[in-house]
Amino acid sequence: MKENVISATVFTLLLFLNTCLLNGQLPPGKPEIFKCRSPNKETFTCWWRPGTDGGLPTNYSLTYHREGETLMHECPDYITGGPNSCHFGKQYTSMWRTYVMMVNATNQMGSSFSDELYVDVTYIVQPDPPLELTVEVKQPEDRKPYLWMKWSPPTLIDLKTGWFTLLYEIRLKPEKAAEWETHFAGQQTEFKILSLHPGQKYLVQVRCKPDHGYWSAWSPATFIQIPSDFIMNDTTVWISVAVLSAVICLIIVWAVALKGYSMVTCIFPPVPGPKIKGFDAHLLEKGKSEELLSALGCQDFPPTSDYEDLLVEYLEVDDSEDQHLMSVHSKEHPSQGMKPTYLDPDTDSGRGSCDSPSLLSEKCEEPQANPSTFYDPEVIEKPENPETTHTWDPQCISMEGKIPYFHAGGSKCSTWPLIQHNPRSSYHNITDVCELAVGPADAPATLLDEAGKDALKSSQTIKSREEGKAAQQREVDSFHSKTDQDTPWLLPQEKTPFGSAKPLDYVEIHKVNKDGALALLPKQRENSGQPEKPRAPENSKEYAKVSGVMDNNILVLVPDPHAKNVACFEESAKEAPPSLEQNQAEQDLANCTATPSKCRIQLGGLDYLDPACFTHSFH
Amino acid sequence: MNIKGSPWKAGSLLLLLVSNLLLCQNVAPLPICPGGAARCQVTLRDLFDRAVVLSHYIHNLSSEMFSEFDKRYTHGRGFITRAINSCHTSSLPTPEDKEQAQQMNQKDFLSLIVSILRSWNEPLYHLVTEVRGMEEAPEAILSKAVEIEEQTKRLLEGMELIVSQVHPETKENEIYPVWTGLPSLQMADEESRLSAYYNLLHCLRRDSHKIDNYLKLLKCRIIHNNNC
Repeated sequence: MKENVISATVFTLLLFLNTCLLNGQLPPGKPEIFKCRSPNKETFTCWWRPGTDGGLPTNYSLTYHREGETLMHECPDYITGGPNSCHFGKQYTSMWRTYVMMVNATNQMGSSFSDELYVDVTYIVQPDPPLELTVEVKQPEDRKPYLWMKWSPPTLIDLKTGWFTLLYEIRLKPEKAAEWETHFAGQQTEFKILSLHPGQKYLVQVRCKPDHGYWSAWSPATFIQIPSDFIMNDTTVWISVAVLSAVICLIIVWAVALKGYSMVTCIFPPVPGPKIKGFDAHLLEKGKSEELLSALGCQDFPPTSDYEDLLVEYLEVDDSEDQHLMSVHSKEHPSQGMKPTYLDPDTDSGRGSCDSPSLLSEKCEEPQANPSTFYDPEVIEKPENPETTHTWDPQCISMEGKIPYFHAGGSKCSTWPLIQHNPRSSYHNITDVCELAVGPADAPATLLDEAGKDALKSSQTIKSREEGKAAQQREVDSFHSKTDQDTPWLLPQEKTPFGSAKPLDYVEIHKVNKDGALALLPKQRENSGQPEKPRAPENSKEYAKVSGVMDNNILVLVPDPHAKNVACFEESAKEAPPSLEQNQAEQDLANCTATPSKCRIQLGGLDYLDPACFTHSFH
Repeated sequence: MNIKGSPWKAGSLLLLLVSNLLLCQNVAPLPICPGGAARCQVTLRDLFDRAVVLSHYIHNLSSEMFSEFDKRYTHGRGFITRAINSCHTSSLPTPEDKEQAQQMNQKDFLSLIVSILRSWNEPLYHLVTEVRGMEEAPEAILSKAVEIEEQTKRLLEGMELIVSQVHPETKENEIYPVWTGLPSLQMADEESRLSAYYNLLHCLRRDSHKIDNYLKLLKCRIIHNNNC
């Protein structure tokens, strides 16, 4: 029984449903509110989407209630917003309050409700697009042309009271272009565009948005035709600027090229080479030795405490008659255990360690058979004429004719004796040597005092017959100064041109006369340990006259026949220890001036100068 | 003369130095003239411009913070339904549309804004503290909260200055709605706690928008005479 009833009921329902379906009538589907918007924060509209149509006319109603209220309201305006919309007017719109709304679809068959939608007007603000967009090309006379666009805010928006704040954005593009050029315009309602392609047709659009909300739709496009002569000035200006810049660059490059060297030297000044004050290379080349030597000024010498140090540089004179000389030396100075000095193999500047008086004892390990070595700056005169007698002390005269010549890098110390046929040598006047030695203890002995100055006006150069063989020519700067001291130089030794490989003469810078000329003395063989034998050639035949320059770097000095006799030696210097005291030097100086012969030590005809004597003379 | 002048010189130098030091102390990092100054160098226009900039900025931050929080924790879970009537400032008589706003007098308006700002001091402080104490504290949200707290304080100072300029006779009204939502932020139940945060951020977003809108209104009204 029951089963029959149940089945009958089911059958009836299915029949009914079938009938309804066949008729196409259903309750409406569930609607959905899909969008709410407020264009001005004073009104808003909501739109819904109806559900499936039930085949019957369906009524929709929107009901809502607001936050803080319990009363339900119905939509006040279904018309204004269009179909399936609800428009809330000013009096129904409240900011900062949540609306809970719902749409009810009803038809004959039934009704259905949409989901509740929570809406706050604050966050659904989207204005309408701006209106009245006008675009024109403006070409002022004295300024560049530009595109000028202007628009007005959408209606119904209250900007004046500040209730609503609008921000704008424009975009434009040539008609055929694909990409838009967008510009943010802020709160202004006009805009200028400066860079445009002339002769093209442009589209311009504008849109706006509230301070907090959604952007509006783009306004309808406005077309504008850019004239063909638009913005030609730009190109002209740039071309002229480019040309001007190129010209300026060229000028700068030219100036730099011309004066580049001077600029470079200004920025990077060349490292000054060694210079002898007053020494004029040009004069040297001209061969005017007198002028040259006179032009030389004083030089300060590195101070040495030891009077031996005064005689740092020597021009070692050596030649084939070394043996003779040495024997002479040994004859004359048997007691002297001086070692012959040998030339330092170094050819740079002629400074031989060997020649340094202080070093002689250490470095000059080659004892020479000839003990007559003396590292004092001995004047070795080399008269041009072998027969010429020089002004030296008679004892020295035995050395005459011997032209010391430069040691060609030999390791052998050469003696001082004059060797006439030596190719070249430079000489120190004995006086000069004396004065040099006696000068300030810190100065190597090449200073000249006044007395010695006269004698050492010129240095003699020995021009040997071999001189023309392109012997190396040393540059000897003759220093003549009153007070300064020159370091005695050991002139750089180079290979002697002589087949006999005669050693070259060493010249010691003996003094510098008042004119700055260097007086050179041929160097005597040094005795490393016994500088106390001053030798003083009586004559002042110093090789202070430059006869010429060879090979551009070798000075050929000749004895100056006009040089005065200078002999300033300190007698006491013979015994004096290497270091001399000042007062003694002064005394020596006085002695020097007064008794030039004092300093001389006559050893077998050779004159030796005691370096101590020189030291004194300079104090 | 040196001997004579030196004590005077030294004395004047010392005086100068001391006065500079004293004045330096007054050069506090107050960008606008301190309250109570008889003559303020910053114009009302500048004050309002500055206030509007701050309020605009604060609302942007609040909006972003709410969006990030919702997206991360509560989206689609209907937390909005529980946010109804959850703001502690709803008791304040704030205008809700343009007409009401225009009807409100200037003085009350300013006081209202100040009250809202004051009422948010404490909630913002606790918001920062609690978010910081969260496990895996969301850095984006925390940083914004910190910034909002900072800027709100500055905005409040600016508002107090404006009030002192526009309505110097205003008595300090310290009444403002008190926030009591701290226990909710600390609830153990995650759903409840999230709901509490959601409500707090929701209300912050709303009130910051209110303040921004009100200030823009007042600026146009006071500075531009309703002719913005």
